[in-house]
Amino acid sequence: MKKHLLTILLLCTCVAFGFAQNRVITGKVTDQKDGSPLPGVSVTVKGVTGLGTQTDINGGYKLSVPATAKVLAFNFLGYKLAEQPISGNVVDAQLTSDSKQLTEVVVVGYGTQKKANITGSIASVTSKEIEGIPTTSVEQAIQGRAAGVLVQADNGKLGQGIKISVRGTSSVSAGTQPLYIMDGVPITTNDLSSTSAATSPLADLNFNDIESIQVLKDASASAIYGARASNGVVVITTKKGKAGSAKINFTAQYGKSNPSRHRDFLNAKQFVQIEERAGVGAAKQDFANGDYDTLDDALADYKSYVEDNLTFLSAGTDDWKTGKINTNWEREAFQSAPQQQYDLNISGGNEKTTYYLGGQYLDQTGILIGNHFKRYSGRLNLDTKMDKKLSIGMNLSFANTINDRVSNDNAFSTPLQIVALSPITPVIDPRSGLISGTLPGEAEDFPLYYNPLISKNNAFYKANVYRTIGNVYANWDIVKGLTFRSEFGIDQLNQAEDSYFGALTFRNTATDNGFGENTTTQVLNYNTNNYFSYKTLFGTDHSLDMVLGTSYQKSTTTGNDIQGNQFPSDAYKKLSAAAVKTDGSSLSTGFSFLSYFFRANYAYKGKYLVSGSARTDGSSRFGPNHRYGFFPSGSAGWILSQEDFLKDSKLISNLKLRASYGLTGNAEIGNFPSLGLFAPANYNGTAGQQFTQISNPNLKWETTAQLDFGVDFGFFDNRLSGTFEYYKKNTRDLLLNVNLPGTLGVANPTGIPSSTQVQNLGKLSNHGFELELSGDIFVGKFKWTSSLNAAYNKNIITYVNGQVLGTNDLNRVIEGQPIGVFYGREYAGVDPANGDALYYLNTKQANGSLDRTKTSDFNAAQNVVLGNPTPKYIGGFTNSFSYMGIDLSFTFQGSFGNKIYNSAGQYMSSSAGNGFDNQTVDQLKYWDKPGDITDVPEPRLFYGNGVSPSSRYLSSGSYVRLKTATLGYTLPKKAISKLGLQKVRVFANAYNLFLITKYKGWDPEVNSDYQAGNINLGVDFYSAPQPRTITFGINVGL
Amino acid sequence: MKRKYFLYTAAIALTVSVAACNKALDIKPTGSIDQSQAILTAKDVQSTLVGTYNRMAQSDLYAGDIFMYSDLMATQTIVNWTGTFQELTQMVNQKILVDNGFVQDTWLRGYQVINLANNVLANLNKVVADDKDRTEGEAKFIRGLMYFDLARLYGKAYNDGTPSSNLAVPIVLTPTTVVSDASYVSRATVKAVYDQAISDLTDAEAKLPETNSFRATKGAAQAILARLYLQQGNYTLAVTEANNVISSGNYSLNATYAAEFPNGTSAAHFDNTSEDIFAIQVTSQQGVNSFNTYFASSGFGGRGDVRAKTTFVADSFATNDSRGKFFTATTDGDGNPLYYRTKKYNNSLGNAHVVRLAEMYLIRAEGNFRNGTVIGATPTADVNKIRVRAGATPIGTVKLGDIIRERILELHFEGFALQDAKRLELKKVGSVQYNSPALVFPVPQRELLANKNLVQNEGY
Repeated sequence: MKKHLLTILLLCTCVAFGFAQNRVITGKVTDQKDGSPLPGVSVTVKGVTGLGTQTDINGGYKLSVPATAKVLAFNFLGYKLAEQPISGNVVDAQLTSDSKQLTEVVVVGYGTQKKANITGSIASVTSKEIEGIPTTSVEQAIQGRAAGVLVQADNGKLGQGIKISVRGTSSVSAGTQPLYIMDGVPITTNDLSSTSAATSPLADLNFNDIESIQVLKDASASAIYGARASNGVVVITTKKGKAGSAKINFTAQYGKSNPSRHRDFLNAKQFVQIEERAGVGAAKQDFANGDYDTLDDALADYKSYVEDNLTFLSAGTDDWKTGKINTNWEREAFQSAPQQQYDLNISGGNEKTTYYLGGQYLDQTGILIGNHFKRYSGRLNLDTKMDKKLSIGMNLSFANTINDRVSNDNAFSTPLQIVALSPITPVIDPRSGLISGTLPGEAEDFPLYYNPLISKNNAFYKANVYRTIGNVYANWDIVKGLTFRSEFGIDQLNQAEDSYFGALTFRNTATDNGFGENTTTQVLNYNTNNYFSYKTLFGTDHSLDMVLGTSYQKSTTTGNDIQGNQFPSDAYKKLSAAAVKTDGSSLSTGFSFLSYFFRANYAYKGKYLVSGSARTDGSSRFGPNHRYGFFPSGSAGWILSQEDFLKDSKLISNLKLRASYGLTGNAEIGNFPSLGLFAPANYNGTAGQQFTQISNPNLKWETTAQLDFGVDFGFFDNRLSGTFEYYKKNTRDLLLNVNLPGTLGVANPTGIPSSTQVQNLGKLSNHGFELELSGDIFVGKFKWTSSLNAAYNKNIITYVNGQVLGTNDLNRVIEGQPIGVFYGREYAGVDPANGDALYYLNTKQANGSLDRTKTSDFNAAQNVVLGNPTPKYIGGFTNSFSYMGIDLSFTFQGSFGNKIYNSAGQYMSSSAGNGFDNQTVDQLKYWDKPGDITDVPEPRLFYGNGVSPSSRYLSSGSYVRLKTATLGYTLPKKAISKLGLQKVRVFANAYNLFLITKYKGWDPEVNSDYQAGNINLGVDFYSAPQPRTITFGINVGL
Repeated sequence: MKRKYFLYTAAIALTVSVAACNKALDIKPTGSIDQSQAILTAKDVQSTLVGTYNRMAQSDLYAGDIFMYSDLMATQTIVNWTGTFQELTQMVNQKILVDNGFVQDTWLRGYQVINLANNVLANLNKVVADDKDRTEGEAKFIRGLMYFDLARLYGKAYNDGTPSSNLAVPIVLTPTTVVSDASYVSRATVKAVYDQAISDLTDAEAKLPETNSFRATKGAAQAILARLYLQQGNYTLAVTEANNVISSGNYSLNATYAAEFPNGTSAAHFDNTSEDIFAIQVTSQQGVNSFNTYFASSGFGGRGDVRAKTTFVADSFATNDSRGKFFTATTDGDGNPLYYRTKKYNNSLGNAHVVRLAEMYLIRAEGNFRNGTVIGATPTADVNKIRVRAGATPIGTVKLGDIIRERILELHFEGFALQDAKRLELKKVGSVQYNSPALVFPVPQRELLANKNLVQNEGY
């Protein structure tokens, strides 16, 4: 190096002597945003070729220019070109970053590509958009920010299931979630919860370490991931250091969450009124059935029955008569929910070695009593050039998350099921001075159900995850243009779930001296990619780059579980103290993929683009007759704005047409669906086995053929830019759990009798449009940028061999309808004459029309399509303003055109027809006397008048939500530079600030956790709302 | 240069080596085994037989549901149903929907039992000679019992119309290995399914040993046959089989009624009592007593969905009858009972009774009475044996009504209400007559859709 320096110096000297009239210009190039120096910026003299230099590590440069030189040009990737007139010997420059600049490089599968040359469909989210959002996991942070990506949380519990659909749902029985690739490693994202409520392994990621997220949507972009790309691929790239002095960035924020909405239930007086009326209603029915000799007998009998029960529910007092006890149980389900978050990262490096260090402590309290989430995470990304040709590096992250979970939505102990308790029941039982429901013995049935408040201090369920994701790589530039890259990555996840339910929770656990469970799960997932890349330009007009390589992934899950009961006292919480070990098990399972891939991109004259890729995937999951699948794709693009007729257009700065077509697969079908299996089935201490699965050696992946047309455009020097796309995805060979006759006697180890076989049968399609628009509406001192994304998707099940699939109340799979379509009886309101719930017959008549006669006979009414649980339109709208150090940004997010089914309606909105559950306030509109026009049937205790699953409990789920809002103020540089600080920003963040919807429940973003699946969609069942979180924080850079 | 070669070699080796590890795609399950490996040895056949018990011990079947359905559908005058399972409420209301999940699961589970029994029977050649009869007997006992109960739930009563043309359930006698056209079996007639059950149970009776721990015995086969013949109205054979059980000397009534339902200070497993002829074993490690789930209060681990009406307890039992005191009252503020719960199922780890000796005395009494015979003992002696054990006053001369009433007093909530109502051709069962289609389960909608050869029951 020294030698080279000497030569350069010598040369410079020579040149200096040779052109004595030259001037030497020096200067410093900094980032306009934060004033940080920019190394590596190319500095050239405008109009003079072959003369230029690059800025050094401190952003400084020195360039000798001819006396005639007037203007210096500063050019740096990702920044707008800057030009500065030469005046004097010092020329400094400030560069403005340009996110829309088409020279931007986008991370794609096994490499990067210039954005301008991309012919596939990729939605990008950058670190700036998601930094500091006070959510638990990354999926929530990108909600509403990527076109065609639907993000839907099951409920408002922390760190739990979130569904992502990229361009609709592409499978009925197999996985529907995208493949996640983080720094080249396919990471573990499957649910590892030992309850029926899913958790999100993505909650282990600190998304403030993420530099960019690319969602590969069409076949051209995703087919390089072959058999696992049908649901889209999410490529996550973490932050890297930049050469330059160390940058330290610290952010602290503190805030609080509240339920974003409440739901109102009857107060004590209203409750007594409806229950008494229900007794009257039931008495009339009993009399009509001939159970009583006179109506008065029936009424008297019911009156005493209802009153006895009300007294019982009032903790044995008459207080129900006066309304003295009036408990709002709904409010008792929630708690004060503070949260705090600290982020520290340090990055820097020199020309050879760069580093990024990130650390986070996140401490969130959930809005539901007992719910809490903590995350500690650390990351080190290191890259070094060993020499000119060989560079190596690593990305390593560690996280520990501790989730204090609450029971799933279907458990009496889940906080929100508390709303079923009667308002006449006191929180504290006056007979004992303890929380109602903690007295065994006589009060064992009191209150109406298990009181979830008991769990708060007498039970815990902690999921503790240790997660290490790391990879190392070596990149070797063999000859000019040809490189070989080898990557080896590991994602190791250790989860320990520990729970204890104390003696007082007996009514929930059905065991009287405590119940404990301990589950551990280890997932070791390793992956290696080895590939050659070749980039070349030939002639002046041709550019070609190619990738060829192999990949192998193996994931092994092992785990064990032990359960026990009978603890000496609640002071003992570990299973060593359990007198009876009721269950113990261990498991081990796994899968592997072996893949070969190839891609070539060719561009002619920088405006005609052709691209192709191919992948072969073999997987342990497929039947022996179809081990390997082949997934090709092709695409083409035409950059019209580079053509002569548009090149000089002032209006159109970018116009590109593109089209792609290709095949992708879906292999998320469980690990051994092709085998015929026997599994253990023991009995009273003797060992046994049972037949659990019928074989299908022909089983293979699902195939999706996707066609995509897109147009990218930019106007007014790209101040207004956007993309419009149309796609059609046809999925065939659906991996379907086909119902077989039950007489075959195939069991299902999960406990639900099934008699199904996984077959490649069925077809579905998705097609839709996506629009992205972004504009710099104001530039200059007052800045306003705006971006909008909107997507429409239509999902149709085209063929399932005429079957009707589905297991819950209304969600079904039916040919010609979207997946999970609500299908059932159509509620027709209430008979004004007698208060009966009515349904439309909807029997098909000779002329093909439906018979709209109303009937009170539920069985006589026919099932009809009642609505779609999946939104037709989704979108997001972000606006950012900045002025004099003040910045304001807010994102609206919405989804439209879907319905929600309240499957708890049969209990909470049953016009007291289903016992003594408290009712939603709308039930007060019940039918009372002949002639009443209402849609709430006559209350009839235990008669369930109108409570069967029907459209009565369906409502629109459309909503618009102010998802995030941020207001910040960056202190002037002058004020802080004395303190040695680069940046100080104070800010306030708001998450879910308000919601506009007609939905009457807690939250229209819902799919009850215990049952959520591909088909079970849009179901509300005591599901917690999303939190509304407001935080205040400070960001300091030095 | 040296490093360059190393890199070349490494690059090519990495690329090629990964491509070569084809074996890497062979991953076998560890929690389950391939069906081709499942039944190879005598031990495997025994394991499959145990699996058959495991399946029949599920909550949908003999852990209790199958008996509770029968009570829910026909005891409207003596219980209050307060449960929130809509599908059980449908049974109480005698308005069952074709997609009722309980109706579906019991059907599916029943055929899991039958398929495993078929697997055992198809592999008897692998069983060592000494075990062969017992193995065959146990498998046939379970299969026969299963067909008998499926026929009673999904088909019309034997005494309703023509059993040789009324449809019950499909009969499958071979193990499932693949899916083929033969997998789509039609429903057999009520008579054919009863005949299959009789054939299986008769074989079982012949092959089973007198004692066999908690597993099926000769006495168990005879007891179920007695129940089956009584259901058919074949009193002669019912008496014969009941008498066989009683006279075998293998079973004896417990000293007290309560002793038949053993319970400790907290839930615990108890072995069969001397009175149990066949019972589903429940332990803390496996199994569930679903009688407990629905009948017992939350304090005993149940949901407490089924409550006995105060009138039933107050009006049915004489004051000295201990069976009338085998209830827990929930009282209002003044100490008056609001409702009762039976104490029969307070032990969540108690065994679920399938058949016990007291029923045999009552069958023998009824059969003898109807036939005018005195096989084993007089009807009066048999009924009074039951009454005296319970502390009730003996009846001078027993009439048919006394026997029927005694069945309710002794066997209430043990799953006899519906099938007795049908057998006795009661005019009022809840709000319908004994032969109402509402008292027959529908063929599950799922099955109709999965198997085009099935036809739905009348009334659905």
